[in-house]
Amino acid sequence: MMTRQVVVSNALGMHARAAARFVHLATSFQARVTVNRDGRSVDGKSILGLLLLAARCQSVVTITAEGPDEEAAAEALVRLVETGFGEAP
Amino acid sequence: MIQLIGIPVSPGVASGPAVVLLQNPFAIRYTVAQGHVAREAARLDEAARLARRQLEQVRERVTRSSGPELASLFDAQLLMLDDQPLVPRAKAIVETDCLNAEWALQRAFDEVSTVFDQADDAYLRERRGDVADVVGRLARALRPTTTSPWSVLAGIEVPSILVVDELAPSVAGQLEPARILGVAIDGGSRTHHASIIVRSRRVPAVAGLRRATALIRPGAMAVLDGDAGEFVLDPTPDAHERVLARHRGRVALPVRASDVGPVTTADNQVIRFEANVETPAEVPGARAAGAEGIGLFRSEFAIGLESLGSFDEDRQYRVYRALVEGMAPLPVTVRTFDVDEFQVSGNRHPVGGTSRGPLGLRAIRLSLDRRDVFDTQLRALVRASRHGPIRILFPLISSVEELRAARSALRGVQSEISEGEGRVPDIPVGVMIEVPSAALTADLLARDADFFSIGTNDLVQYCLAVDRSDGRVADLYDPLHPAILRVIRQVIRAAARHRKPLSVCGEMAGDPASLAILMGLGVTTFSMAPSSIAPARAIVAGLSLAEMRRVAARAMRLGTGREIRSLVVKSVAALRPPGAGRREEGAGGRAHGES
Repeated sequence: MMTRQVVVSNALGMHARAAARFVHLATSFQARVTVNRDGRSVDGKSILGLLLLAARCQSVVTITAEGPDEEAAAEALVRLVETGFGEAP
Repeated sequence: MIQLIGIPVSPGVASGPAVVLLQNPFAIRYTVAQGHVAREAARLDEAARLARRQLEQVRERVTRSSGPELASLFDAQLLMLDDQPLVPRAKAIVETDCLNAEWALQRAFDEVSTVFDQADDAYLRERRGDVADVVGRLARALRPTTTSPWSVLAGIEVPSILVVDELAPSVAGQLEPARILGVAIDGGSRTHHASIIVRSRRVPAVAGLRRATALIRPGAMAVLDGDAGEFVLDPTPDAHERVLARHRGRVALPVRASDVGPVTTADNQVIRFEANVETPAEVPGARAAGAEGIGLFRSEFAIGLESLGSFDEDRQYRVYRALVEGMAPLPVTVRTFDVDEFQVSGNRHPVGGTSRGPLGLRAIRLSLDRRDVFDTQLRALVRASRHGPIRILFPLISSVEELRAARSALRGVQSEISEGEGRVPDIPVGVMIEVPSAALTADLLARDADFFSIGTNDLVQYCLAVDRSDGRVADLYDPLHPAILRVIRQVIRAAARHRKPLSVCGEMAGDPASLAILMGLGVTTFSMAPSSIAPARAIVAGLSLAEMRRVAARAMRLGTGREIRSLVVKSVAALRPPGAGRREEGAGGRAHGES
């Protein structure tokens, strides 16, 4: 199991488009992905779950990956969030 | 057990499983048999596949027109199609609770919405709109070819009680008594058009229940009493039996249904009854009930209300001819289309089919505006007039100009047909008195009209400024309001002075107290639903017209409709048949003794 913390850095936070990118990336891995914010845990492959997390700019989220490719999954997802989902910071 | 009291709109008792039809949002609710659960869940997969194809096309279009950045918004919607809380959750609900796909999808959406609504984040609350968009697309995809409520109703296999939020007249017109045992309506009123149609189809119904669709649980049984206005969900055996026993007591009341021909009052005055019908199929029933003619044929209902524009002349001619031949030698009064522009264009009403603007472009106004539709109808009527006595009635006339314009349209059609195909008979032309301006100028209209028909439903509504489809003000709708009696008396006097026949064709004539007072004011011809004629004949036979004139004169000095009703009921022994007392007890003390 791989657990990594990351700060949401883009201005809009994890909104619909960003969450869609996150889900696309997460589902390309075999590992089970969960995302946690303020004690609330959601499925990282569920768009509705991620939206409901309401992770705005500067919020800290914990990404957990569990499965054969957990290391690569956690690494790639953290990079996506850190780079602001490819959007303006 | 949940007991609700509403407005009685169509007599009779029904019991059976309840089926919920919500017009807005459009969703039908029923439970599926255990063996069909897999098939029902598969409908959701199929809908998701269709929705996916549509969304991919939308994304492609937006990519071309606005670039990939904006188009990627639809990625989120596409992901929602697969997401656990929607389609997979709905499938699980279908499997565990045996609900139909639409209902299960609505439940899954409700669960997601609750979480979204609780969020203290405005952005997030707005995202609920995206989810609603996806769910709406899925719901439509569930029935890609059959989008009309009546085609959905046609899919009901077990005879059921229909529970609806609103009943559109077009839906009411399609109810099959064999499959729909009774109707319970959250909104509506006794005189709402849909209620009139349900009554004509002899389906027991109760309106104004407010929360029936919200309180119902899947697979609920229901019993409905259309005379008392009672609707019981999941009745106990005792409650069920109580409703049925009350109905048996009512049916046992003697009604002299076999009498035909004119009926005379106790003091030998002749009163005529005619029938209000919606289809030629009702003609034998009207004759059997003793009707001396069709006083009101609501022509738009025979057409299915789908598109009057495409209802060609020959089809109309066949309907009118069947009606005239079925009733001959007695006369048939056809009211020209009382519809609005949406019905003529064949377009659906904006939402739920109920947004009919009563003060807008409809009835004779629309006919004079859409001369193609009007002339087609008039040609069909003139051709049918060769087969038996027919009379034409124009609805919603509000001025002498309109009456003259409508008459001149009819003359044009008559001379065109007589030139081409030989002489056509004269057709008496009447005015439906339902707008206060027409009632107040009845003396002027009488010079250009051959007869009057007072449409009390709309006349009461427009005089009292009461929207009869709004259950919250329905109590203000009082046909015995002093203003109504004054207006009606004025019309009766104008007709008498010009020696023009007059009849009353609203539902008011079906209420015994109103019937008695209208007779006292001078009305001698009434037109009503065939099922109301036999009871009304029985009442008339026991009344003295001279006495009713005295009662009416006293009523004109009373200040409220309630006082007037109580004066009439107290003065007239015939209005208190044995058993009426019992019925009032059963109805739980409602003020109006309408039956």
